[in-house]
Amino acid sequence: MAMASRKPRDREMLFDSVIALVFILVACVDLCDGATVVDVYRLIQYDMSGVPFGSRLASLNHHAASLHFSPHADLSRTVLLIPLRELNMSFVREYIAESKPLGGLIFLLPRMFSFENKDGKESTHQDGSKELLKNVLGELEQILIHTNLPYPVYFAFEDDNIDAVLTDIKKNDVTGQPATATTGGYKFVVSAPEPKKVVSPPITNIQGWLSGLKTDDDAHQLPTIAIVASYDTFGAAPALSVGSDSNGSGIVALLEVARLFSLLYSNPKTRGQYNLLFGLTSGGPYNYNGTRKWLRSFDQRLRESIDYAICLDSIGAWENELWIHVSKPPENAFIKKIVEDFSSVAEELGFTVNLKHKKINISNPRVAWEHEQFSRLRVTAATLSELSTAPDLLEKTGGLVDGRHFVNEAAIVRSVKLIAESLARHIYGHQGKNIQIFADNSNLAVNPSYVRSWLDVLSLTPRVAPFFSKDDPFVMALKKELEDHTDEVNLHRDVLDGMFTFYDSTRAKLNIYQVASVTFDLLLLLVLGSYLIVLFSFLVITTRGLDDLISLFRRPPSRKVKTA
Amino acid sequence: MTVFHFFNCAILTFGPHAVYYSATPLSEYDTLGTSIKAAVVYLATALVKLICLATFLKVSESDSFDPYQEFLKALIGFIDVAGLYFALTQLTHRNISQNHKFQAVGLGWAFADSVLHRLAPLWVGARGLEFTWDYILQGLEANANLVLSISLAALGSLMWLRKNKPKTLIPIIYLSAGIVATMPSITSYLRRGLGWHFPKVVGFELFTSLVMAFISWQLFAACQRPSA
Repeated sequence: MAMASRKPRDREMLFDSVIALVFILVACVDLCDGATVVDVYRLIQYDMSGVPFGSRLASLNHHAASLHFSPHADLSRTVLLIPLRELNMSFVREYIAESKPLGGLIFLLPRMFSFENKDGKESTHQDGSKELLKNVLGELEQILIHTNLPYPVYFAFEDDNIDAVLTDIKKNDVTGQPATATTGGYKFVVSAPEPKKVVSPPITNIQGWLSGLKTDDDAHQLPTIAIVASYDTFGAAPALSVGSDSNGSGIVALLEVARLFSLLYSNPKTRGQYNLLFGLTSGGPYNYNGTRKWLRSFDQRLRESIDYAICLDSIGAWENELWIHVSKPPENAFIKKIVEDFSSVAEELGFTVNLKHKKINISNPRVAWEHEQFSRLRVTAATLSELSTAPDLLEKTGGLVDGRHFVNEAAIVRSVKLIAESLARHIYGHQGKNIQIFADNSNLAVNPSYVRSWLDVLSLTPRVAPFFSKDDPFVMALKKELEDHTDEVNLHRDVLDGMFTFYDSTRAKLNIYQVASVTFDLLLLLVLGSYLIVLFSFLVITTRGLDDLISLFRRPPSRKVKTA
Repeated sequence: MTVFHFFNCAILTFGPHAVYYSATPLSEYDTLGTSIKAAVVYLATALVKLICLATFLKVSESDSFDPYQEFLKALIGFIDVAGLYFALTQLTHRNISQNHKFQAVGLGWAFADSVLHRLAPLWVGARGLEFTWDYILQGLEANANLVLSISLAALGSLMWLRKNKPKTLIPIIYLSAGIVATMPSITSYLRRGLGWHFPKVVGFELFTSLVMAFISWQLFAACQRPSA
């Protein structure tokens, strides 16, 4: 019995030791593969009307160099590692805009742009340098977006590992010596599949409906006010385009207005005689393509019942001036009324709201403001924004520089107050009277922590629409939030059409290997060869004597003589 | 290029064994069979050792130095000596002199050790893109190990095969053999107990291996004299 019981145990032990051996081997593999790994974010790749733009490659396998490379070096097989702090625009224009050959580009962004570092606390720099970096990055982003780069371009954030690598590379470049194991030659490897086209990029518009109090029998007689904000972004790095200001601030303001009015509308006494329509639209950077589809899907009667629409766009980083952009002439009665509402409330809140009129050119495909999509369908609409002029296509769409710490919560809170108060005056007919419905410290006050938490969430969520999956958790979260504040929420799904084609693979892992040069390997071989020869000679001499060693070299000819 | 590096490291790790075999009279007397047998004995010993380690040792989570565990490990390490004893005394060899026998056994022993412990990491690691000095150091360690194995085999053959040796030398022989046999434990202590880095440990190993080789050579020569 004892023997029988011992045998399986022995076998078990053997099994254990084999497993241990395998584990040791695996551990060895892990140890040996201990190169630095960095998260990198790829420059966007897209076609506009069939013309290629952005970075056209994803996989990378080249030696690294810094900006201190020798002027005549051939860089077609070299990755340039460029920290944003040292970037000068003349280099960018020379290399990027003239599309000189490069193996690849990696831009190192300061830590303060990282969306994980949302407070920007570590920035000991002056605000001036922060602004400067922001401007440089903004300019770089626009150049990168509008150029066709036939090599991989990535963004990464500075950290201790990559800083050490950069220092090594710089040292190496300054001395001008070829990379060796001792002086720090680095190879950058990103193994990514070839980027594929995103087939039929989805657009999901979220619409929430808060119905007003019916006094007559026919609800459709009630006028509707629409509050709209586009929620998606576009930027040089899709995985980093969180768009805190454009248009995270608009989304937050819309959600807070919805929350405030849901409180008012939950009580029949304070329920207004206006329906409220909240719309979170997609496709904003692409001429408000999603807004257009959403409006076209409307029932004719609903569209006609819209009294006016207020579009919110970039309202999170202003000081004391907001703009109302309209496309109908300011003399128009509806426009006049909207502007009067807003400017009177703004005056009470201590800032100014200015009107800006920009005519629509129907033949021009560019739609600069979201309200223009409404205006094209003859719905009165205006855009509330901190921007005084209309941005160009793919500009101010929530790219790299649009981070959390460039947005001011207080500005959003003031914007929300302005919007809610003006709407309330319009809805309840209190025009001209100085009544504060959403006064501070009342139960209808704007909730700054709600604003902050949503802003934080939005500032962590890249929202480039073509890379959203069909039921993206973020879209579902927005829908759920709107469901909490409105009576009825619908998702309107469509496909982004028009001139844009997008390619996937937006983020990757960069492996940094310290490598030895071929010369080093040759040298090593030489050293080892001579070591073995010396060892051989030494052993022969000590065990058989010097004569034997000499005869070793003489023997072959003598053997030849014998065979001959 | 990385295959090149692998090739270099392989030369450093296994080259000296081949050189030793071809340079010394071992090749003339065709002692390859003895070396192979010794290598097989080494494999069996390693298996027994592995089982003992798995049975008696706790798996330590931390990389710290635990004296009791290390003592056990050193005891288990002496299984090597038993294996060597078996290889030197029990294996039936063709009629080769004691002089060549211990060299052949030591060589086979060291070669099997190198193959078992260093080939797989080398194959997996040295071909990777990342350059480290580790594999070159590991090759140097293999050299030190070759010298130590042959020294141990020499001392073993003095202890077990030679009958008429000077009485005064016997304690020295046993002491030296003991030191050589505990070398793995000593290096493990240096690495983990004192926190030495790999290059320093390898330097120490190379140094001690040369010293021990010199001592055992002198002892061997001293024992040779009266019989000659």
